[in-house]
Amino acid sequence: MADLRDPVVVQVLWQRLISVTNEQAAALIRTAFTPIVRDAEDLSAAVFDRGGRMIAQSVTGTPGHINSMATGMKHFLAAYPPDTLRPGDVLMTNDPWQTSGHLLDLTIATPVFARGALVGFFANTCHALDIGGRPMSADADDVHEEGLYIPIMKLYEDGRPNDSLFRIIEANTRAPAPVLGDIHAQVACNEVGARSLLALMGEFGLDSLDALSATIVRRSEQALRRAIAALPDGEYAAETTADGLDAPIRIRTRVAIAGDTVTVDYTGSSDQDRRGINVPLNYTEAYTTFAIKAAISPEVPNNDGSFRPVRVIAPAGCILNAQPPAPVAARAIVGHFLPGTIFRALGAAAGPRAMAAGADSVCLISVHGGAAAGPFTYTFFCLGGMGARAGKDGLSTTGFPSGVAGTPAEVTETLAPIVIHRRELRADSGGPGRHRGGSGQTIELSVRTGRGYGIAATADRTHSPAEGVDGGQPGAPARTVLDSGEALNFKQTQQVPPGQRVILELAGGGGFGDPRTRDPEAVRRDVLNGLVSLEAARSDYGVVIRRSASDREMVVLPDDFVVDQAATSALRATGRGSRDPAGAPRSGPSGGS
Amino acid sequence: MGVDIGGTFTDLLLVDDRAKRIVIEKGLTTYPDPTEGVMAVVLQATKRAEMPLGDIEVLVHGTTLAINTLIERTGSSTALFATRGHRDAIEIRREQRYDMYDVLLEAPDPLAPRYLRFDIEERMTADGEVAVPLDREQVAGLLRRLEQRGVQALAVCLLHSYRNPAHELAIADIARDAAPALRISLSSRVAPEIKEYERASTTLCNAYVQAKVDDYLTRLERELVRSGFRGAFYLMQSSGGLVTTATARQFPVRILESGPAGGALAAANAGRLTGRNRLLSFDMGGTTAKLAAINDGEPLVAPGFEVARVYRFARGSGLPVRIPVIEMIEIGAGGGSIARVDQLGLIRVGPESAGAQPGPACYGRGGTSPTVTDADLLLGYLDPAYFLGGHMPLATEPARRAVAEHIARPLGMDVVHAAWGIHRIVNENMANAARVHLVERGTDPREYAVFAFGGAGPVHAYGVAALLGAPAIVVPPGAGVASAVGFLTAAPAFEFVHGWYTRLHAVDWTRVNGFLGEMEMQGRDLLAGAGVAGAAIDVRRACDIRYEGQGSDVTVPIPPGMLSAGHVADIQHAFEQRYRELYGRTVPASGLEVVNWRVTVRGPQPAFRVSPAAPRRGPASAAQKGSRPAYFGDAHGLIDTAVFDRYQLAAGTAVEGPAIIEERESTIVVGPGGRAWVDESLNVVVDLPPRLTEAPAGGEHDGRPT
Repeated sequence: MADLRDPVVVQVLWQRLISVTNEQAAALIRTAFTPIVRDAEDLSAAVFDRGGRMIAQSVTGTPGHINSMATGMKHFLAAYPPDTLRPGDVLMTNDPWQTSGHLLDLTIATPVFARGALVGFFANTCHALDIGGRPMSADADDVHEEGLYIPIMKLYEDGRPNDSLFRIIEANTRAPAPVLGDIHAQVACNEVGARSLLALMGEFGLDSLDALSATIVRRSEQALRRAIAALPDGEYAAETTADGLDAPIRIRTRVAIAGDTVTVDYTGSSDQDRRGINVPLNYTEAYTTFAIKAAISPEVPNNDGSFRPVRVIAPAGCILNAQPPAPVAARAIVGHFLPGTIFRALGAAAGPRAMAAGADSVCLISVHGGAAAGPFTYTFFCLGGMGARAGKDGLSTTGFPSGVAGTPAEVTETLAPIVIHRRELRADSGGPGRHRGGSGQTIELSVRTGRGYGIAATADRTHSPAEGVDGGQPGAPARTVLDSGEALNFKQTQQVPPGQRVILELAGGGGFGDPRTRDPEAVRRDVLNGLVSLEAARSDYGVVIRRSASDREMVVLPDDFVVDQAATSALRATGRGSRDPAGAPRSGPSGGS
Repeated sequence: MGVDIGGTFTDLLLVDDRAKRIVIEKGLTTYPDPTEGVMAVVLQATKRAEMPLGDIEVLVHGTTLAINTLIERTGSSTALFATRGHRDAIEIRREQRYDMYDVLLEAPDPLAPRYLRFDIEERMTADGEVAVPLDREQVAGLLRRLEQRGVQALAVCLLHSYRNPAHELAIADIARDAAPALRISLSSRVAPEIKEYERASTTLCNAYVQAKVDDYLTRLERELVRSGFRGAFYLMQSSGGLVTTATARQFPVRILESGPAGGALAAANAGRLTGRNRLLSFDMGGTTAKLAAINDGEPLVAPGFEVARVYRFARGSGLPVRIPVIEMIEIGAGGGSIARVDQLGLIRVGPESAGAQPGPACYGRGGTSPTVTDADLLLGYLDPAYFLGGHMPLATEPARRAVAEHIARPLGMDVVHAAWGIHRIVNENMANAARVHLVERGTDPREYAVFAFGGAGPVHAYGVAALLGAPAIVVPPGAGVASAVGFLTAAPAFEFVHGWYTRLHAVDWTRVNGFLGEMEMQGRDLLAGAGVAGAAIDVRRACDIRYEGQGSDVTVPIPPGMLSAGHVADIQHAFEQRYRELYGRTVPASGLEVVNWRVTVRGPQPAFRVSPAAPRRGPASAAQKGSRPAYFGDAHGLIDTAVFDRYQLAAGTAVEGPAIIEERESTIVVGPGGRAWVDESLNVVVDLPPRLTEAPAGGEHDGRPT
């Protein structure tokens, strides 16, 4: 028997378990059909002990998948207690309230047996290409309109496929071949994991995972509790407003740190919505535990132990604890705001990992229309700026907490008759601060069909900008207009006349710390690079910069900009040049340089 | 002659065909001008070989100069021209974080700062048609001004130039008059593939390092010629093919990974010579370990990679380069990797490294953090008096103090056990990375013998092989100059790519035949210029295909000769076969699309056997230097272990483990149950005992490196 008192043995076994889940994930990526799984690695894979506690996960996976799967395993065990499980069984569900929050995510769990006894489970969650209903749309009135609803069921029993279930799925999806293909891949990758796990147990003489699981969970829990205990006790609160689809959505967060536990309370947030942007509690919990871990202790591996010190409260019927049969298909639109709000609530208390709010949401652009070659529909993502960190500027055009990627203009233009006229960093969009928020971007597009076209874009934060922290200023809010200057709400599909262009300016991240304490050299660099205007350098940062090159100079170099030290000191000493208190919205000038 | 410049050493291997002998030379890499170090080893080697430099027929060279220029950001002041509205693609990147939990992550600064990135008035459509003509006046004015203001290099990356390069070519044309001193790299020539961020990044890397590489090669060639060199001079490419200095000057981005490519080629050569069709090339140095799969004597080639990662070796934190490269994984595990106790109360090793300064504690240069090398010393694997052949004595006490203070005491264990923990865990890290890498490629890790080199490779190969269930490890002679060995096994080769997106069932074959033929002709001309006869030239063509709408493509070979619609079925079949190998299945009823077309033109590959002077045949005992206690896990404890001098082990001799076999640049560790023997090419081969999959009940199995 492996001696679990020896930290070397524990570390070896632990790393090996993580490696087993990476093999499981690699097998899934290798065999899945759907590009979203293959290319975006939008999947999660993990191993659980026989009590349904997650002990290790693969490196891939978004919090919405992995953490909700981790808490979801107890539902599998409730539906199928150990004495009802046999080797060759495979369980499945897409219950939004038990797993990852909408019907499109399929979770498949496989019990593992050693010498006839249940030792644990492998499970994975993947986004299905289609599950019937109104996929990836917030238009449904209730969850039943959103597609096929599969309660926890046996997909395989004793090694035999459940033909009835397979046929029902096949009949209810618009894309049966890839969807069933992905399900087979999900089943197979759990088998790969199980094989490696059994080999590992054999190699180390383990009959059960219980002792190892207890060690891993205990060490992780203790590490996270120690990290929490190191923070000052107190209540930290923040509030933000997302655009929502029809009406603004308020998200109110109170983070209470007491000793070695954290309670995150969302009481006071908006009620659940008519549109499908509601969030089941398990998805709320998933992004909450993610944020706490990222803010406090990213080094602690993600497992059952790292969830335990965190308690989540959201009253039933609030948008963050939506009750069935509320529509939930687009739950990410609201759910993505949670981590940023928690980070902002903690503020400087989070230490080096403290971070201002960012654009938070993903902008999903969907363009459709007619063309000589037939009608087209094309969908792609683009991202705004991240919040500034306590010690670093925010990252420009980078998603947080989402992990999706943007699309190169050349790819968009090749696959659809769209022209991306502009895709550039948006000047003066990063919130001023000692550390500047990340820049958003400006996308300007039209079609080359010569006809009108339809477009919808979920660019959020048009009303409420990404807030700063610790004296940092908010980033510029998003703005969505036609090139004629007409402002439109693209969260509803808009018809654009032929020849007109759509301009989407995505939000910048909030700043961190008083902008008047920013290193003037950093401000000068931002001015040189056209990310901050000369006027904003003066008014936002209190830094006076002289441009020595003529206005007609095409090539400006660092030496062409000089900080006027005396004027800067004087300006900063008067306190003029600072903006209104943090939180006031500011509208940045439009991009371009 | 093969010459490889590394971070610390410049290695040389001279093969004298007539006298049937080799000369190995090693000298310090010189800064800032590596020419001195190269000339020093070259002249030393020819002197020792008693051969005038004029007798050297071929010199193959690899250098870290280009990649270090990117890592250290010491290249030219570089501007970028982009289509109006798209100059920020290089900074917008992929809009994605590369680490889910770490909010402190960083993005690399673009090689061209924003103030040197310019919107150019022009536009191509995705079909390659001119939508907005090039504003030649704007371009001429900008070019003149750039040159006047001292900007040294320019990368041009216009949208869809992979489809129609006319505007990029026009800019180069205008520059000949307007800015003759500006070095210009065109994306349509450097990396003509779709995706503007990756293409611009590649083009910028090329422009940024070009002056340094060009100046260096000019100096080196001049020095070589002055010393009498009259042979052919090639550079090693990242892909494993050779190019002339003229090509390397034009496309220096192709030689970024020349050293690692050489190592993988040495492994491939050994695979061919020893008939092992599954080898894992394992190069463990001071800060990282590089692993590459060699199947059937050929390394895998990937269409791109990433350089100069800015954050903890993390994938995604570097600059993308779309240039063929021998596929490798690199992880932060090396002799200098630092061990610490993490907040879970467990030992973590790397990716932070003590580097060469201050280095491991045992270097005695003031390092106080425990490293892998310190652990290896305390376990008895390294001889403190024979490190680097005795050139660098190691100090045991500082190593013991570092391990005791930072690992053993906090964890309540003795120093040897703590050292064993460090050794074991770094092995686990490497084995786990290798296992997942091989599983991703659909192969079985247990089939791969481990080909070990680099300073720390042979020390750790046995442990890593045991963890992978590998049958054997192979340590080549001259493991310290493996890259230089690999250089001499490479063929001259040129790779071309043409980005031309089309559905497979609607290909304009006339167009495709046109540019395939053009690429082949260019390659043949270049090879002819390098003295390769037409009949000896091997042409391979391939295309990158994917299912319609999928993001990642698969490179598959396409048939020779003129292509027509009649070849579609063959190409589709080849795609499905490759796809099935990679992903286990195919997608029924999905259309295919081709993204890129590729041509590789290669000269003949020299078969090459390194045969250092063989020691006289004799029993292994004659090669034994002595013995010392070494630790092989709890089950064995400290065992008095025989130490052998590799240079005295003749072909055919065998040694039973546990054993330690020392050579100047490294030390081969053989665990209990292993059996080492020397093959005809003087490789040390260690066969591992069959893997135990069931541990005996109550056995102390965890203590063994199996």
